[in-house]
Amino acid sequence: MKNLLSNLNLSKDQIQKLSLSTIGFVVLLYVYFSFFLGPLNKSRNSMMVSINELQSKLGNSKNEMAKANTLERQASAATTRYSALTNLSPEGAPIAWFPPRMKIFFSNQQIDKTTARLEGNVPYKNADLSGWMRYNWLLDLPQTDFATLGKAVAELENTEPLLSIHHINIHALADDPQFQQVTLNVATAILKR
Amino acid sequence: MALHLNLLHEEFQEQRLRQRDPLKIGMMVLGGLGTLMFLYYMWNAYQTLGIRNRLNAVQHDWSKVEPNVTTAQKRSAELNGIISTTKVLDGMIDSRFFWAPFLEKLSRCVALNAQITSVDGTVLEDNRGISVMIEGLAAGREPRAAAEELRQLLSEQLSQSYHDVKVEFKTLEDLDTLVKIGGANMAMARFSVSATFNQVDTAKAAPSPNSRTPRK
Repeated sequence: MKNLLSNLNLSKDQIQKLSLSTIGFVVLLYVYFSFFLGPLNKSRNSMMVSINELQSKLGNSKNEMAKANTLERQASAATTRYSALTNLSPEGAPIAWFPPRMKIFFSNQQIDKTTARLEGNVPYKNADLSGWMRYNWLLDLPQTDFATLGKAVAELENTEPLLSIHHINIHALADDPQFQQVTLNVATAILKR
Repeated sequence: MALHLNLLHEEFQEQRLRQRDPLKIGMMVLGGLGTLMFLYYMWNAYQTLGIRNRLNAVQHDWSKVEPNVTTAQKRSAELNGIISTTKVLDGMIDSRFFWAPFLEKLSRCVALNAQITSVDGTVLEDNRGISVMIEGLAAGREPRAAAEELRQLLSEQLSQSYHDVKVEFKTLEDLDTLVKIGGANMAMARFSVSATFNQVDTAKAAPSPNSRTPRK
């Protein structure tokens, strides 16, 4: 460096000025890249990223909406079926409406004095049924004849799709063997309200 | 040769010195570079401005579309939930065991000389296996044969609709009491029959436990 400066035949004053110019140049570069071009590029890059994201979202949105429309058409049967099933669970606590419903049902089937007792309720393990609860009931039919019972059970199984009888006990009445006393353990899927 | 005297040599030297003043040259280079850099910056700024305008336009488009997309996504999720829930509920409904047809079959098996006093049936946890305990009385010259006839008939009837049917006596005992049927005294026997069966064919269902045969 010294050789170079001596070859250039620079005076001390000139060397000082040259050094000053070099420092100025470095400072200029630093200021330019750190405070002007750097932030500008950074902001431009972030805007480009945002544009790409938004454009991909816009592109996907068309697919999403088309998919939703297609699904809406395909799911019409399922939604109708689902609303029919949910309509089987009226508003209010099941203990308030289920026993009267059973009493009316069996009385329409010529079986009187039916009582329904709640034995317990448990949530379903299946995640798809997170909005539903399984209620276990004990239906006591104190007096009926076999043929009437058969018809009533058939009607119950057909009109209450979410109800399943998991235990049935029929025994003849001691004093009148023509009639039987029946106990049904049933489970119903009821929508959580 | 003419003699030339340069009387202004000091001025010339100063002028030369001024011309090659490093600070001046440096400032000129710095100025030039600064100008170039400024122009480059301006060009970048112009491009950035264009990008910002594009971003604004895209954001405007997105803000118009976003509510619809959000609604569509929510609806899709809701519909998927409804479809899967309905599928599971339908599966539960289809896999129920219907007691009415069983009771009908049972009533067909009971002859005039037999009487059923108790029926106790249970559906096992997976809705496939069913276990029924039937108790009753049979009368006749051969009351045990009458009870056996009921057992066989029940087995035959159940085999028409169910799988893995097993109907067997748990108890069968003669009673001392006589009963009058059609004016004749007949001996009596008390029986207890256990019936177990599956509503689906377990051998067929085994390879794909998730698929269930819909009931007729």
